[in-house]
Amino acid sequence: MKKTNLFLMIFTVFVFIFLYAPMVIMVIFSFNEAKSLGVFTAFSLKWYEKIFTNTEVWVALYNSVWVGAVVTAVSIVLGMMMALAVTRFSFVGKPILDALILIPIIIPEITEALSLLVMYVFLNIPLGPLTVIIGHAAFDVAFVTVVLRARMAGYDRTVEEAARTLGANELQTFFRITLPVMYPAILAAGLLAFTLSFDDLIKTLFTTGPGFKTLPLIVWSSAARGGVSPDLNALSTFAISISLLFAVFRIRAEKKMRGV
Amino acid sequence: MYSVELDNIVKRFGNVAAVDNVSLKIRENEFFSLLGPSGCGKTTTLRIIAGLEEPDSGVVRLHGQDVTDVPTHKRNIGMVFQHLALFPHMNVFENVAFGLKMRKVPKNEIKDRVKAILEVVDLSGMEARRINQLSGGQQQRVALARALVTEPSVLLLDEPLGALDLKIRQHMMVELKNIQRRVGTTFIYVTHDQTEAMTMSDRIAIMKDGRLQQVGTPTEVYFKPMSAFVASFIGEAINLIRGRIQDGILTTQDLGQPILVNHGENSSEAYLAVRPEIISIDNELEGLDNILDGIVRDVIFKGSYIEYRVEVGPRVFVVHQHSRALMQRNFTVGERVKIGWRRNEGAIIPSSGV
Ligand SMILES: Nc1ncnc2c1ncn2[C@@H]1O[C@H](COP(=O)(O)OP(=O)(O)OP(=O)(O)O)[C@@H](O)[C@H]1O
Ligand SMILES: [Mg+2]
Repeated sequence: MKKTNLFLMIFTVFVFIFLYAPMVIMVIFSFNEAKSLGVFTAFSLKWYEKIFTNTEVWVALYNSVWVGAVVTAVSIVLGMMMALAVTRFSFVGKPILDALILIPIIIPEITEALSLLVMYVFLNIPLGPLTVIIGHAAFDVAFVTVVLRARMAGYDRTVEEAARTLGANELQTFFRITLPVMYPAILAAGLLAFTLSFDDLIKTLFTTGPGFKTLPLIVWSSAARGGVSPDLNALSTFAISISLLFAVFRIRAEKKMRGV
Repeated sequence: MYSVELDNIVKRFGNVAAVDNVSLKIRENEFFSLLGPSGCGKTTTLRIIAGLEEPDSGVVRLHGQDVTDVPTHKRNIGMVFQHLALFPHMNVFENVAFGLKMRKVPKNEIKDRVKAILEVVDLSGMEARRINQLSGGQQQRVALARALVTEPSVLLLDEPLGALDLKIRQHMMVELKNIQRRVGTTFIYVTHDQTEAMTMSDRIAIMKDGRLQQVGTPTEVYFKPMSAFVASFIGEAINLIRGRIQDGILTTQDLGQPILVNHGENSSEAYLAVRPEIISIDNELEGLDNILDGIVRDVIFKGSYIEYRVEVGPRVFVVHQHSRALMQRNFTVGERVKIGWRRNEGAIIPSSGV
């Protein structure tokens, strides 16, 4: 009993090292005075100063945020309707639809990205923010639907019937009962959609137009240009912090969702 | 005028007729129960009255008005659900106020009316509590208050006490009946528990397989069952004797002697139903219309009464005697006794109810 506990603990520690060592190294060296990655000479914020005075970074951040916001809104609305459809109504082909929702989650991202590009070219749609948004949303809807569907499956619909017997029409019931009861799940799904969009590189890379860059995109392009560099470490650390923040929000929302 | 009328309601789910041609007339301010075993269609009937389920055919009338096609939120009914269905994101006040808000009642009036109804259900001062901070019995009363505060013309209750433990349930039974008297509203109460139905109801409708078996007061359905099903479903035990009736005499192969009954019609097949407490037991009996010789096979002390099982020929009769009789005399297993009853105290179940 004791032995297995010790073994499990050592094992867990190794897994954590394996998972987080690269990130920790990157974060540490983003505060390194020297340019080299070999030795840590002194603590410095100069790389952060360098990126925060760079307007390209601010524009990219702005782009990432507003694209993320639009994608989140679109995914929530579509995902909600999708989840409602598959949990409340029975129609021909429902099991197929139910399974199809999962496909964007399981196929490789590069395939999604390429297929998007092929479609845009085929339809002759000029690449730019719109195509990025469509690309992100088309796949984030799947994640949102899965989260909301799980919540709805465990949701007792008699509260809606109770509202009906108390004089609420269908619309009032939806806005005063269904939506508020679903709210933690919607929040969790929304934060997930935002994080997915905010972190996305591959789909953005394939579907963006000239001059439209998001945060992951400038990280990638500067890495491609000059290899790893301290200012890139700082930029990535910054991007990770934002994602982390949203992840914390999401976990809290999910906890609340299970609590209700 | 009737509070609720159902005319030939039919509702099928696939092959199952959940409600099979049910007609009912429920009076104003009546405490009316729908009683029956699980799956007999009670909930479905209630949901049809509420408009939550659409009947395949038939008419629903509330206060004489045909509401068959009127949506739920326009029917002015109240409903207490089996699992209460309180709104988890609202506190007690908001839950109770919901129906008034939907009716656009002014804010001040909402406050007063919520306060008043919470007093009725004995929850004063609990307004700000969240639902998950209440005990089962308190949640029960919130659900009741929420349904009553809009002053519905009829209150529908679907096994509202099912989730409570015995003590609170007994308490709530008395409470419910008191509340019903105080607010003066028609209550339609669904339950599979005969004690609940018997305790509270003015009248009871007994259902089986989607069909109405009998409608009557608790004493009527108890002492005058109209079918073998009602006879055995209601009460703890009953003695059913099957036979043919000719000129007020029931003959049966089981018993060597004719049984006198109060029944004018002749019938080739009928049941005589005799409640255990109707039957007298003693070593010598006189002055009763039907007296049989038997042997005591079982004696079970049940507190306020004693249950004897008395063998008469191939039959066993269940006889209940008030415990007070123990002070004088008790009968032991194997003892020879006489059992008897008056002809007008048994009920005849006509051939249609066999
Ligand atoms: N939505 C539904 N879909 C299919 N069948 C249903 C549905 N609702 C009820 N039924 C069936 O109709 C019959 C009556 O159901 P109902 O819920 O009215 O019974 P009940 O008397 O309330 O039973 P219980 O005491 O178990 O609550 C049952 O056979 C049930 O399986
Ligand atoms: Mg039921």
